[in-house]
Amino acid sequence: MPPSLPKEGRGPSVPSHPTETPNAAGWTEEVLPTRLTAIRESERKVLARLEALGYGKDHCFAVRLAFEEALINAMKHGNRMEESRQVRLAYRVSPERVEIRVADEGVGFRPDCVPDPTVDENLQRPCGRGVMLMRSYMDEVTYSANGTEVRMVKYRANPVRGFPESGRRC
Amino acid sequence: MKVQVCQEGSCTIVSIQGSADVGASAALRDAFLRALDAGATRIVCDLAKTDFICSDALGVLITAYLKAHGRGGFVRLANPQKRLRKLLETTRLDHLFDVFPDVACALKDV
Repeated sequence: MPPSLPKEGRGPSVPSHPTETPNAAGWTEEVLPTRLTAIRESERKVLARLEALGYGKDHCFAVRLAFEEALINAMKHGNRMEESRQVRLAYRVSPERVEIRVADEGVGFRPDCVPDPTVDENLQRPCGRGVMLMRSYMDEVTYSANGTEVRMVKYRANPVRGFPESGRRC
Repeated sequence: MKVQVCQEGSCTIVSIQGSADVGASAALRDAFLRALDAGATRIVCDLAKTDFICSDALGVLITAYLKAHGRGGFVRLANPQKRLRKLLETTRLDHLFDVFPDVACALKDV
């Protein structure tokens, strides 16, 4: 089991009891096999929640991008694509914000040591953009001490990077 | 996601319709590999109907760019919509790829 983030009074750090519907605190918890094709169904459910609450297309795009990047990173770099390893996912969508937590069973990493993919010498690298994209498109991105778990938040009132008109007060 | 490949003079046009997400990047990779294996070196990727690209799919475009560039050709991007334009700016991949407002502009000097 991967270690968990401090709870900060904001719900579970990693899912321990998978739920198809949100629990009393609003969290939906899933356990995914390490298989890239497993991402789409969870993504569909998260986006359906956003759409049901009237989030705009820019926010849906931002959350979708960060959601995919977090799960791709957990499977590829965390679990090294070993299908026996699991990815634990928790998400909570409210009218004000979207919170997502993803935990893998890898050895962890130091996010601050990931090379900047936007500098000229790294532009031709086909990979290594996930962490940067999560940080660019979400309002908060924090990692557990060993890097095996990421927590991301996107606030509805905050605009999406590059689209100042996309944020609005609820 | 749907990928259509067609020939326009000496150029190969790869049109991506829908979402180039993680579930679709393998199909996208196959489409580019097939075109490159068939000898394509001048490739224009039409993004007019592409609503999403994940980093995996961006990696496919970069790999295709490197292969085409290594053979003296190119991969150009045409007509990315506003969210994809912003994604290209955020990743600074607009400094790697030549980006054109439409396919006709991308083919102009070929």
